[in-house]
Amino acid sequence: MTDLPVQLENVTKRYGTFTAVDDLSFSVKQGEIYGFLGPNGAGKTTTLRMLLDIVQPSEGRVSILGSNSAISVRRRIGYLPEERGLYRKMKAVDSIAYFARLRGLSGGKAKKRAYALLEEFGLGAFARSKCEALSKGMAQKVQLLATIAHEPELLILDEPFSGLDPINQQTLEQLIADQRAGGRTIIFSTHVMQHAERLCDRFLIIAKGQKRFEGTLAEARAGFGRHIHVRSSAPASAFESLPGVLSVRLERSAGDEHDYDVELADNADPQDFLRQAMAAGLPMTRFEQAGATLHDIFVALAGDEEEAPPAQPARRAEAAE
Amino acid sequence: MKQVLLIAWREYKQYVFSRGFLIFLVMFPVGLAALTAALGLAERNKPVRAFVIYDQTDQYADEIDREVERRHALSTLNAWNLYLAAYAPADAAEALPEPFAPDGVSDARVKAIEDAGGYEAGEAAVADILRPGAPPFEAPRAQFERVAGPPALQDATSLEEAEEILRPYLLEERKIVRPDGSAAPLFAAVLIPEGFGPPQQNGEEAPSAQFWSRNLTDTALEDLVGNALDAALKREAAEALGLPRAALDDVAAISAPFDAYRPDREAEEAQLDMSDRIETLMPAALTYMLLVIIFGVGNLLLTNTIEERSNKIVEILLSSVTAGQLMMGKLIGIAAVGLTMPAIFLVGGLAGSATLGADAGESVMGPVIASLFTSPLLLIYLFYFFCAYAIFAMIFLAIGAVSNSLQDAQSYMGPVMLLVFAPLPFMMMVFQNPNGFIASLLTWIPIYTPYAVMMRAAADPPLWEIIGATALMLAFAIVLVRFLGRIFRNAILQSSPPKAREVWRLARKDAA
Repeated sequence: MTDLPVQLENVTKRYGTFTAVDDLSFSVKQGEIYGFLGPNGAGKTTTLRMLLDIVQPSEGRVSILGSNSAISVRRRIGYLPEERGLYRKMKAVDSIAYFARLRGLSGGKAKKRAYALLEEFGLGAFARSKCEALSKGMAQKVQLLATIAHEPELLILDEPFSGLDPINQQTLEQLIADQRAGGRTIIFSTHVMQHAERLCDRFLIIAKGQKRFEGTLAEARAGFGRHIHVRSSAPASAFESLPGVLSVRLERSAGDEHDYDVELADNADPQDFLRQAMAAGLPMTRFEQAGATLHDIFVALAGDEEEAPPAQPARRAEAAE
Repeated sequence: MKQVLLIAWREYKQYVFSRGFLIFLVMFPVGLAALTAALGLAERNKPVRAFVIYDQTDQYADEIDREVERRHALSTLNAWNLYLAAYAPADAAEALPEPFAPDGVSDARVKAIEDAGGYEAGEAAVADILRPGAPPFEAPRAQFERVAGPPALQDATSLEEAEEILRPYLLEERKIVRPDGSAAPLFAAVLIPEGFGPPQQNGEEAPSAQFWSRNLTDTALEDLVGNALDAALKREAAEALGLPRAALDDVAAISAPFDAYRPDREAEEAQLDMSDRIETLMPAALTYMLLVIIFGVGNLLLTNTIEERSNKIVEILLSSVTAGQLMMGKLIGIAAVGLTMPAIFLVGGLAGSATLGADAGESVMGPVIASLFTSPLLLIYLFYFFCAYAIFAMIFLAIGAVSNSLQDAQSYMGPVMLLVFAPLPFMMMVFQNPNGFIASLLTWIPIYTPYAVMMRAAADPPLWEIIGATALMLAFAIVLVRFLGRIFRNAILQSSPPKAREVWRLARKDAA
């Protein structure tokens, strides 16, 4: 096993004149959960397909489990595509066993494992039901079980949470955590930040085919400075003049009271800011220290290009690594 | 390769182990048996057609009666042959005394059987060799029966009057009385006028005999009466020329000894027999089978690829196998489905003819088997069969890959079907003139090379032409497989089907 099961170097994918993925580089470490975040159409699925050698990059180099092509190491990879389905007339257990066999398991072993997984995930009674008779949630579970049945060491899940109800989302989160505990490396793409925030060791944000950030949540927050939420009747300018304050943004007003989002410089201490404000006689009915959420970071990085130039935060994060 | 076979096996299982296919397999022999039984029943229950003759000449009614009797005797003899084939072992039947042993159906043999004691004597002769449980021989019922007609007919003085009397019977408003006293509908009336005879007798046009019947579809009696009158007039003419009547019957019974030979065989084996005929028919049969299979499995490939595409299964598959392996697996699996049906019928036919002991079946199946399994051409047929299958199956796969529904596929299917069936009208020309211009032309069109070569293989076409056209076909197939393979790979993952004009773009290397 390599320490970096997945590495992309300067990978570009063009369809005619359209560039779907633009000079993308990143690497995934052994045994981590790696979040692949980006808005719709950011190039996530294309990148994952290039990882799996389902489509070929126009430029750049892909390395997966020590090989230049996923084809030769397919049996060690489990892939759950964003758009997924099952053969309607096939039984649940046969579906799981079929995909496991395609990925190298022997017939008997695949069947045994399919039964065990269905039992484990509460679908034992439906093992011999045809897929067309399963509920949507059950079918999604079967698809997921088909992805892990051959016990891959690298799991690539494209939007695995989409379409799942909250209970199944929780089951999936648990499954991902269990897989990691079992020593597997997991890459999953999503645009639901809560899952990424809870599960990922590191993540990558891409938008319009370009990398906007790669690193841990702490590193992302560090790159985003410190924020303080303040409620006061004083004007914004009174806070702007305090030392260490980069910007003050009015969030809302109610009568005389205003809510401000105060951004401090990287090296500024929020306690100093509080003392300075008290000394200046600024009235405050609320003072709350807040780190940027992944949601804020995602919107800032992957949202409108004008607001967040792509290169800078990414560079900052890389420097912090 | 394991994955390819796994995919092929799944495809095969999906169709062959489906309820529909199994029901068809069970229903087919049942249906066949039911059809045979129904035909037998219909034959047995065929109504005896009653007819009336009004003959002003008093000469020809007997001639028609004789012909009715003669036909019945011939069909009884035919039934005897079938009875022996079904219930007596072939070699034992061959050893029977002359007129009873299986042989051709002829007036002479009818006469010989009559002289030898009729079918009662036949049954006695055959009793020892019949298989256990064989029913007694039953002569078929006579198909036609002449009845006297209503008494008023005797008094009719003209054809018009006779017709007037018979009309209510012919229209089934009234029933006729049969010799056994029962009532029956009148099927037809034959009216023969005074002066009926050979045409242009004494330079004058002779009056025509008339056949009246409300049933316009069953012309058996009409033909019988026509033949009987023809024969009667010919006999009269022969007599006028000084020949005895019987001499003309002898002349009519003459059949020239005539055999066909093929020059590519040694003298003693050169005479054409049934197996030669079947052998020459084999390419046409295989070509026909090829078309049926292509048509049948083409639809399977199409619906199946559309299912994988629209059900979003294909990307999971493509993370486990390459697009090439997926295509190959499908082609092999569906080809096996296509060959299962003819294989089952072939094996079923063999088993049927072996267990039922129908030696009549042996005489057809034997040469078929011989020409299938001993002919050096079999390998050639198989090679071209699979080439044609691969070419057309790839086209269907590519159509499936660019369609989300059968409706999407329709717009491509029309032209493809036209392409598949276009050579059909020319195949007869190739069959009859295997080294002619059309045959040559079709041979050089790569998608029709397999058809043309299969049709021509037995006729020793110029070797250079076959090798050249086959090389061209293989080159074309490789280009086509690459081209359509790219379309398949590139289109199968697109969530919405490409427009027709974009399909060509998908065949480019960098499209995916």
